[in-house]
Amino acid sequence: MPSVCIYFEVHQPMRLNRFSVFNIGKDNDPYSTYFNNEVNRWIFEKVAKKCYLPTNELLLDLINKFNGKFRISFSLTGTFVEYCERFIPSLLDSFKQLFATGAVDLIEETYFHSLSSLYDEFDEFEEQVKMHRQMIKRIFNYEPKVFRNTEAIYDNRIAKKIADMEYKGIITEGTEKILGWRSPNYLYKPVNADIKVLLRNYKLSDDIGFRFSAHDWPGFPLTADKYAYWMSQCEGDLINLFIDYETFGEHQWIETGIFDFLSHLPWEVLKHGNLDFITVSEAVSRYDEVGEIDVPWAISWADVNRDVSTWLGNNMQIACFNELKEIGKKLREKRDKDLLHVWRLLQTSDHLYYISTKDLGDGDVHAYFSPYDVPYEGFINYMNILQDLKQKTV
Amino acid sequence: MKVAMIGWEYPPFKTGGLGTHCYGLTRSLADKGVAVDFYMPKTKHSAGSDKENLVVKEVGETEIFPYDRPEDKALAGKFFESVYKYNDLLVQRVSGEYDLVHCHDWLTMKAGVALKEKMGVPLVLTVHSTEYDRSGWLCPNDWFINIEREGMEAADRIIAVSHFTKRVIAEKYGINPDKINVVHNAVYPIGEGEKQNIVLFLGRLTIQKGPEFFLRAAKKVLDHEPDCRFVVAGMGDMLPRLIDQAVDMGISDRVIFTGLLSEEEVKHIYQIASVYAMPSVSEPFGITALEAVSAGTPTIVSKTAGVSEAFRNCLRVDFWDTDEMANKILSLLRYEPLHTTMVEHGKREIRLFTWDQVAEKTLDVYRGVL
Repeated sequence: MPSVCIYFEVHQPMRLNRFSVFNIGKDNDPYSTYFNNEVNRWIFEKVAKKCYLPTNELLLDLINKFNGKFRISFSLTGTFVEYCERFIPSLLDSFKQLFATGAVDLIEETYFHSLSSLYDEFDEFEEQVKMHRQMIKRIFNYEPKVFRNTEAIYDNRIAKKIADMEYKGIITEGTEKILGWRSPNYLYKPVNADIKVLLRNYKLSDDIGFRFSAHDWPGFPLTADKYAYWMSQCEGDLINLFIDYETFGEHQWIETGIFDFLSHLPWEVLKHGNLDFITVSEAVSRYDEVGEIDVPWAISWADVNRDVSTWLGNNMQIACFNELKEIGKKLREKRDKDLLHVWRLLQTSDHLYYISTKDLGDGDVHAYFSPYDVPYEGFINYMNILQDLKQKTV
Repeated sequence: MKVAMIGWEYPPFKTGGLGTHCYGLTRSLADKGVAVDFYMPKTKHSAGSDKENLVVKEVGETEIFPYDRPEDKALAGKFFESVYKYNDLLVQRVSGEYDLVHCHDWLTMKAGVALKEKMGVPLVLTVHSTEYDRSGWLCPNDWFINIEREGMEAADRIIAVSHFTKRVIAEKYGINPDKINVVHNAVYPIGEGEKQNIVLFLGRLTIQKGPEFFLRAAKKVLDHEPDCRFVVAGMGDMLPRLIDQAVDMGISDRVIFTGLLSEEEVKHIYQIASVYAMPSVSEPFGITALEAVSAGTPTIVSKTAGVSEAFRNCLRVDFWDTDEMANKILSLLRYEPLHTTMVEHGKREIRLFTWDQVAEKTLDVYRGVL
């Protein structure tokens, strides 16, 4: 009987100010000149109102109604939590309330939603994971058992590292690239490490995340009973539905009926005797792995390629990424706490995502999420800031 | 299908996008089996065609330079007179069996309207620029506007070179937008050359093209990159003022005014430039941006330029925002990955802008009026 394992990614990046070459090398405060606090606050409050607050309320209500039979997991990034603490502390309280029901699990990741797992050395990555762990401990008094890397970036090397850090499970994309003919609806094990791998069922996840309001999709309109029926027909141990939290009310507006869908989902799922809900920690303790996966090259859940080309697909992105790493080496010698924090905020993967030059289908998604007119603008702005930070490390 | 097309310039003699457009369009139409007689004023360099069904017909001399703006009354009287003379001449000379008349911009519109009546065939009008554009939206001249409105009203169908221009035609001239089709321009690719540390402006030195903003940005760039050179290619009434401006700013040793360039020289300068900037105050399309990109030169264009609504792989600025223009020029000079990525993607996208496509869309318009 497949268990439905729903997990929401909750993240907001610190968006950048317009920073021209003429600002480079001026004696300014990096935090306030690099980051556009006004816009960041405005966007955060807008998304909180449209998505975070109403969805949290709905989920709390559903968990209570179903006496904990409706179970979910969250991953909150460090930047998201910083936003909450600065602008809407009550939002963090509502996550605490959700967690206190016992039906909610929390997932570990890098504090800054960064690409530090792709650096040559793991020291920065490990530090950012630990920062996230400390944050979750501080706010929820909890230690996550399952790790999900930024945008589900995964390879053998990362899996080994996470296993060494004693996590029980790691999440990535259930792509055919690594599965071949095999189903994502089971747990697997990396060839080189002792840890369970949860694989996102991208078809069913994207039915909600991307296709929910697509009129030209044969599944439209997607109702909770139809969706629950599809899941009841699935083979396997568990169905991993990993979705951006902003899907609810932000990517899919309230008018699309996304909240009605969510509020009916537990009813419809639990009508089927063969379905139940579990959290990610429960999934790894309840089920055993059925096979091995071998991932020598990094995969992710992004774009159609399901690799890291979304962030490192062109020369501009690679130049920024290399610059970031260089700055890191200098900053570690300098031991300036504030600059280190700014450097880490700049590592958030979104900044590189905006510089992607993928054209066709994916380009539309990039344009939707990007504050820049064209990726070139994103590059100029980001690179100018990196140049300024580099000068500050001397 | 046989078309009487009326223009005012045709390579090798050309001063703007209109000539380039007429060349690409007529040749591609001819390739599609459309017979075109192209009428134009007589020039020093005679224009010709190597295609059987495309004939270039020169209809006598004219003193008019279409982008001139008569400044005093005496001059204006003479100017208007020669415009009427050219149009009268056209009406006399255009004869034969045509399915439609297709004319381009204000200078040919009176003749177009008269020929439509004389021959009883539909009139198609392409608008490459309006009086509002040429005046930089400062004191547009009613005499031109009235000729343009008359032509637009009489035309059975109007082709605008951008959505931007379509809006101007609808809003400023009161033309029903349903009568207007947008057909973006195209380019014959030039090919890359050996790049030098040169930032290029190429266009008429008139208020419309914003050359003074280019010089202001140049000053800001040179403060940071003193080795860079700025080339201002083209002629126009602003040249003396621009030279003074460069001297006043103390950058005259880094700015080169080339005057009018030959076709070969234009290609060469595109090829060796590292950045092309087109800070037009008003730009219905801006074919030069596509030409620069096709020569492997990353391009910065005015946000309102028609080309920026159709072509993605360029940088956009407000023409007056010279800080931002300088920021982008400096970024292109300093950050090689930006330069190479823009060149690579730009050259790929430019392949979509073919004269064959322009001819195909123009043919659709013809079919709609026949």
